[in-house]
Amino acid sequence: MDSLRSEFQEELENLRSDLIRLGAMVSETIGRGTAALLDRDLHAAQLLIDGDDVIDDFCLGLEERCCQLLALQAPIAGDLRFVLTTLRLISELERSADLMVNVCKASRRIYDVEFGPQLRGLIEQMGVEAGFLIRAAIDSYVDADTSLAAALDDIDDRLDELQVNYVQAIFTRHSEEHLGLQGAVQLAMIGRYYERIGDHAVNIGERVMYMVTGWLPEHSGSARHRLRGIGAEDVKPADLIEDLLAGTGDGDGPTGTGEGDGGQEGESS
Amino acid sequence: MIAWAVAGVAVVVAAVAVLALVAERRRGVAVAGAQVADEQAHVVPTPAVPVLDIASGGDEELGDVADGALLLRLRMAVDRLEHGVVIWDGQSEIYRNRAAVALAEARDGHVLVAAALEELLAEAASGRHVRRAVELFGPPAESFVVVASPISPGGGDGAIAVVEDRSLQRRTETVRRDFVANISHELKTPIGALGLLAETLRDEPDHEIVERLASRMILEADRLSRTVDDLLELSRIEFGDDAEFGSVAVLAVVAEAEGRIGSAAEQAGIDLRLDVPHDVAVDGDQRQLVSAVFNLLDNAVKYSAPGSEVLVEAVDDPDDGVVRLYVSDQGVGVPRRDLDRIFERFYRVDRARSRETGGTGLGLAIVRHVASNHGGDIQVESTEGVGSTFTLILPRAEGRALGRSQESEGVVSDGVGRADTPEGELGDEWIEQESEDEALASRRVAEVEP
Repeated sequence: MDSLRSEFQEELENLRSDLIRLGAMVSETIGRGTAALLDRDLHAAQLLIDGDDVIDDFCLGLEERCCQLLALQAPIAGDLRFVLTTLRLISELERSADLMVNVCKASRRIYDVEFGPQLRGLIEQMGVEAGFLIRAAIDSYVDADTSLAAALDDIDDRLDELQVNYVQAIFTRHSEEHLGLQGAVQLAMIGRYYERIGDHAVNIGERVMYMVTGWLPEHSGSARHRLRGIGAEDVKPADLIEDLLAGTGDGDGPTGTGEGDGGQEGESS
Repeated sequence: MIAWAVAGVAVVVAAVAVLALVAERRRGVAVAGAQVADEQAHVVPTPAVPVLDIASGGDEELGDVADGALLLRLRMAVDRLEHGVVIWDGQSEIYRNRAAVALAEARDGHVLVAAALEELLAEAASGRHVRRAVELFGPPAESFVVVASPISPGGGDGAIAVVEDRSLQRRTETVRRDFVANISHELKTPIGALGLLAETLRDEPDHEIVERLASRMILEADRLSRTVDDLLELSRIEFGDDAEFGSVAVLAVVAEAEGRIGSAAEQAGIDLRLDVPHDVAVDGDQRQLVSAVFNLLDNAVKYSAPGSEVLVEAVDDPDDGVVRLYVSDQGVGVPRRDLDRIFERFYRVDRARSRETGGTGLGLAIVRHVASNHGGDIQVESTEGVGSTFTLILPRAEGRALGRSQESEGVVSDGVGRADTPEGELGDEWIEQESEDEALASRRVAEVEP
């Protein structure tokens, strides 16, 4: 039994280091994708788009291993939350890489558009900020650092602010007639992709909080929602408290709003 | 080729260690006499396979003790290598040196290098020699080469992999290659244009066209002459023959540079503002310093939009024994990835734009050389579309520094700035090569980026 357990622990460790590897792949992708966009480097863009298949494949393998662990080892408590969190993080990271693929595809559509220094600067900063957020999110996961995980939401405000300035700069450039409508729309979408990567990092932070504390930040919202609905649905407050204490929101809670496995395939192509 | 040779040496050293490790493992003998706890930490614990236990000593025969001492030395030697070394016996890792442990435990792109290393080990264990380059985008951009070989010719005994960090070589190669390409571009473009214009001119009867072509020729000749002037200036500064070092008032330097740029700034509608206290002085050569400040101002004016502001500010830092001269603009800025290269000779962020602005591509190279001649430094912070700030760091004038140093607990001005020079950061062996190809200052500058 001892050797079985240690094998299990070892597999948990392997999962952790492979998730770090996935995080490194994604953060590389963000840097490369941003450079491909700014340098109009179609070759780099193509490499990144092709490279996403490698990431997807790696993610599938990781997911498979998480499922095997769940099925064969039936982990409990902290170990269970670790595997569940890892499973969620895989899709968050995979989506982030897909968003960079979207950036590269958009960059091909606006190959002949001149961005101007201000937009270039903002794109560059958004790329740096997005990469930073993903790395910080991975750090919070590896160190089980709830303070960092909780801070990600506020750190992400910087990226959101950049995106707001960026959209404003697009309007300005468009009104100065340096930028056509087509280009403006594509550029605005690109800003949105970066902003979404930040959101994925924030999600990772929330999942890390759950991993460490067994409590999701969303749970307070969930509790409110259910309390409001008590009259209509037949939920006993006792059930509710039990659910919350268990810390694992069930299928119909806000934790599983269809953003998981289903979403990731749809948008990646 | 050199890299291969270096990697080769590492492989040989490591291979000797491997053979020792493998042989010893076969015999199942524990190594005697090793009490070095942190050495043990680098043996990767693999519960499934019995791991080498170097800490336990005991009743081995005398020969084994000698082997053990040798093994320990080898292990320590391989640990000292800058290259990452991993030895694998086909099922599990036997040994991983310090550099390789750092790679595997990283959270950034380095884990991707570690991953490549594992893949290559598995391939090499089947008897093939394999090599892979891993390029990390970063930032900072890094490049690694992973080489893996089977330990015995047919495989079977496992494999060894060596990782080499080739970032610096890579950068050096790029700088050299670009330099050759850029200098020929800079010199040949105006010459080619002159030739073509003259050819057209020869058979041109229309007076108006002749006049237009001739003025184009004058422009091109001016351009060429500026490039040559700057090249001469650069080599003069590089040799530093006629430099006369002494106490120089920063205000005098800035005022002279401003005098040279003033009309151009006015023409471009740029508001040049100075905030330089009259009592700040540096230890340097006035002519070189004027040249450096002029080039910084020239860039600031060239790359700014009309109506914007260029600020020159000098701050005397008695604690550091240096004077910082800031030149800030609200211009186009420099893309982050070019920041560490703009001090190279003829390096261009945007070639098309450089034709419009008429620069020679040597201005910042001159600034960098002046800074390094003075034992100072040049740094840059920039955001595209927001602006750039160049900081020229120079040693304070000797007399003043001594006067103040008594107050600030004996800060000695000489050497403080010099400790900051790029050359101080790497081993001596790099100095010659680097002053040639300029990668060092770039490296230095890359570090100051936010």
